[in-house]
Amino acid sequence: MSAAIERARVRAAVLCPGRGSYTEASLRSLPADHAYVRAAEQLRAEVGLEPLLALDRAERFEPARHLRPAHVSPLIYVRSMLDVVEARAAYDVVAIGGNSMGWYTALAAAGALSFEDGFRLVQGMSLLQEQHASGAAAGGQVIYPTVDDAWRADPERAAAVEAALASSNGAAFPSIRLGGYRVLAGSNAGISHLLKALPQVRVGKVTYPFKLAQHGPYHTHLAAPVADAARASLAGLQFRAPEVTLIDGRGRRHTPWSADVAALADYTFGAQVTTPYDFTASVLVALREYAPERLVLPGPGNTLGGVCGQVLAAEGWRGVHSKDDFTALQASDAPLVVSMDLR
Amino acid sequence: MSTNRVAVVEQNLDDYLESARPAARLLGPEEPLRPGTTLTARVARALFEDMLLSRILDVAARELKRTGDGFYTISSAGHELNAVLGAQLRTTDPCFLHYRSGAFMNARLRKVDHATPAFDTLLSYTASADDPVSRGRHKVWGSRETWVPPQTSTIASHLPKAVGAAFSLSRARRLGVESPLPEDSLVMCSFGDASANHATALAGINSARYAWRRMNPTPVLFVCEDNHIGISVETPRRWIRDFFSRTEHLRYFEAKGEIDDVWDAVAVAIHTCRSLRQPTFLRLRCHRLWGHAGTDVESAYLSRERIEGEESREPVLGAARRLVETGAATPEALRALVRDTRARVAAGAQEAVRRPKLTQVADIVAPLAPADPDAWRAAATVPVDPAKRAEVFGGKLPEAQTQPTRRTLGARINDALHDEMIRRREVLVFGEDVGRKGGVYGITQFLQQRFGRARCFDTLLDETTILGVAQGAAQLGLLPVPEISYLAYVHNAIDQLRGEACSLQYFSAGQFQNPMVVRIAGLGFQKGFGGHFHNDNSIGALREIPSLMIAVPSRGDDAARLMRGCFAAASVSGRVVVFLEPIALYHERDLYEPGDGGWLCDYPPPDGSPGSALLPGEVGVYHPDHADVLIVSYANGLRLSLRAAATLSAEGVRARVLDLRWLAPLPHAAVRRHADECGAVLIADECRATGAGIADALIARLVEDGCGKRIRSVRGVDTYVPLGPAAGVVSISDDQIVAAAKGLVR
Repeated sequence: MSAAIERARVRAAVLCPGRGSYTEASLRSLPADHAYVRAAEQLRAEVGLEPLLALDRAERFEPARHLRPAHVSPLIYVRSMLDVVEARAAYDVVAIGGNSMGWYTALAAAGALSFEDGFRLVQGMSLLQEQHASGAAAGGQVIYPTVDDAWRADPERAAAVEAALASSNGAAFPSIRLGGYRVLAGSNAGISHLLKALPQVRVGKVTYPFKLAQHGPYHTHLAAPVADAARASLAGLQFRAPEVTLIDGRGRRHTPWSADVAALADYTFGAQVTTPYDFTASVLVALREYAPERLVLPGPGNTLGGVCGQVLAAEGWRGVHSKDDFTALQASDAPLVVSMDLR
Repeated sequence: MSTNRVAVVEQNLDDYLESARPAARLLGPEEPLRPGTTLTARVARALFEDMLLSRILDVAARELKRTGDGFYTISSAGHELNAVLGAQLRTTDPCFLHYRSGAFMNARLRKVDHATPAFDTLLSYTASADDPVSRGRHKVWGSRETWVPPQTSTIASHLPKAVGAAFSLSRARRLGVESPLPEDSLVMCSFGDASANHATALAGINSARYAWRRMNPTPVLFVCEDNHIGISVETPRRWIRDFFSRTEHLRYFEAKGEIDDVWDAVAVAIHTCRSLRQPTFLRLRCHRLWGHAGTDVESAYLSRERIEGEESREPVLGAARRLVETGAATPEALRALVRDTRARVAAGAQEAVRRPKLTQVADIVAPLAPADPDAWRAAATVPVDPAKRAEVFGGKLPEAQTQPTRRTLGARINDALHDEMIRRREVLVFGEDVGRKGGVYGITQFLQQRFGRARCFDTLLDETTILGVAQGAAQLGLLPVPEISYLAYVHNAIDQLRGEACSLQYFSAGQFQNPMVVRIAGLGFQKGFGGHFHNDNSIGALREIPSLMIAVPSRGDDAARLMRGCFAAASVSGRVVVFLEPIALYHERDLYEPGDGGWLCDYPPPDGSPGSALLPGEVGVYHPDHADVLIVSYANGLRLSLRAAATLSAEGVRARVLDLRWLAPLPHAAVRRHADECGAVLIADECRATGAGIADALIARLVEDGCGKRIRSVRGVDTYVPLGPAAGVVSISDDQIVAAAKGLVR
């Protein structure tokens, strides 16, 4: 492709989804003949896990089966990576980030890991999460909004989050800043406390707080055993300089020209697992430092669509200050957010 | 038609990257650029990213100016090697930067989470209220998180405070004042070769050397970014080196040549400063591109050959060449980086111009002069520990003093300083003669003996240094009480208050503070002794400074209570407060007659009672039942007014006397209230008639607000104060006040 054509392409940031993105609607979305799917199936077979295509082609969606970490994470990864290939062909992708597990996808999407190593990372982490689900790293995540229906900041809700964390006796912690939501994590006792302490509220048709199914206490020190085990068992992954700038869960940038590959690995097996993930910051850094014309969201699902809208509203980006503003922007000739699974 | 030198420099880089061939062997990311350097290929590429981003932002600044969307074009172009310092210094090394520090900041901000250096810079060019540093108030380099206090730096006025901060690193620790900075931090400040000639720069460097010579750890790294020119005036060859490399008590280094040479030289300079804790001077060779600023057409005073010579040696091009030739990067990779950076800066600029601007006065001035009277009252009336007081005062508390010499204004200021030093361990008292001698007039007597040399010490004789040290100390969590020996002397250092200390909260949108209580001895009436420079009667230069508070006591008991208010405003709200002390009243005992002891007073103990402190707006009122005429005054004028009121009373004119106590902010509401209750208003302003005192402001306000009373003033004559008896001729007197008052009520 000539430089002139490349320059003319639309500049986009790609943001990869996390664990909550796979739903019943995601079934039957894997093309059996795609090289990624074949490669993934081989890696599944090597560790004796159920084929992804069997899960993808299941008669019906079974939460206990489909949302098992070692199933859902690879399903999401492959689905996302298929979209990433399209996105990178269609757009001038200037930055790539992701939410939580989406960071692993982002690594592969940016070329910092091969597809296979990205898959090994996703699958390996999910297996370790399962192994530690009943030990010292037991616990889970709870999600709660800090905005109202119009996506305007609701200080009372934000205060409720802080109060619930403060009264948890050290059993609950911040986990993810996610636009208008806070994901909190904790031990089982911490999760019980959060579910009791946070007043029930509604955003749209959903009542909060609720516990995220089959999630562990990710992005807290409770996940340290997972990080330690991952560092040992996934030491063979070949991290490389990314081809596209990566934005991590601290809002730090890793560029093709200066990324420290050792630091990328260290973050992936360290701070990314054991300290809060700031997806909001990574979106803001993408907006401010790259001013992309599009925020492209690979599938499955569209969990980050509203979240990105909430980040825009909080920032007042492009005149968006509320859900209605965002809806209007999306309906305009130049929508900012493109959800690939909604096409 | 002049050539667009911006485009030429851009094209030079593009042409080089198009024509360059990759090195035969590419370096691994962790391989050094050459044997012997510690600069690796990957770090060199990171530096190049930071330098290039800075350059492209500078290009954008000019474009934004052209379209009317940008408001600042002093650029970092040619100075981008300061990225090396940004990369090597720690975020816990406070840095006071000059205005060509774009690449430095890009490199420094790599070290923190969710930094957005490109967009931040664009927001500052466009004066957006979203600019995270000043919120649209100025284009300044700053960062709370990485210890870069913003200032405009245009006249090197930031060097003295950098020295103060360096000096205070260990001093704060020694006093047990909490500091988030590690013990081996250093303080860096940067400036240009032309600015190195500024009196403030030389004062700062001199004071650092002096502090070191006095055995104080003073780890300050002076970085002179030498581009050989100041606007249109070329710096003589080797000017910087010849002077600073031969200066005692200052380590001297140079960083020049290729990026790896600069990297290694900078490392040595930093290591030296950090480990020896000694003032260190680093000359960083830079080049200036595109004139001083966008408005400066350098082809008017520089030859084309000279301009092109600078362009051929400019550091971004030089670094690109070095990276390619050493195999640290390929031309293709750097071309992609240039493309990526230009695209994102162009896109970011479009977004930046859409961000909100400051439009309301209230928003613009919000961080200028924060005031919280309730919190000030609370802080000023925290009782001082009686046990500690007993220990410090040696059993004889000031309130128990009966000797006339211990009941004067001067003694009460001394007592109040004691109490504040007991109350707040972060208080430092310093200035010329304040330590061993206890002050020219004995006002700081015993402080050094009782609180130690770490908290009360003598400085060298330079007001710029004294006020600069105060700022640096304050930024590190101390509460400095610098003394300026005489009001006339503050004028040689006034910019330290005007341009620096008082502007800090404003230009940092409240993110940085430098609280201080500046004691200044001044005003006239010393019976002709000392002449103008010891009797200066103008506060015009202080009163015009936005946000500066000025308290002026007349009586000893008021002095103690005012001082508590001053410390509270400084401590709670970071305010800069001048405590102006009338020298002639320091040791005055009498009011009406020799020996009447009417000017002596009891000490208001710091017992926590609401009246134990005075806040702005709280005036003193004498003869509140009198209403024929209101005499408004302060300092020496108050004593004269009270004497005049007694004379007037004998003649049947009942005068109420109001002591302003605060000259900034002026207590307009209290003045108006009392004016309304009286038949006429007389302002007795001992300062010179024109613009030097407060009479103009008070009268203007009364008139504009429709007071409707007859108003007159007596003021000092518009002249320097002469020596000897002639001083009395040009100063206000009680006779003048009596005559003016009678004229008003007649």
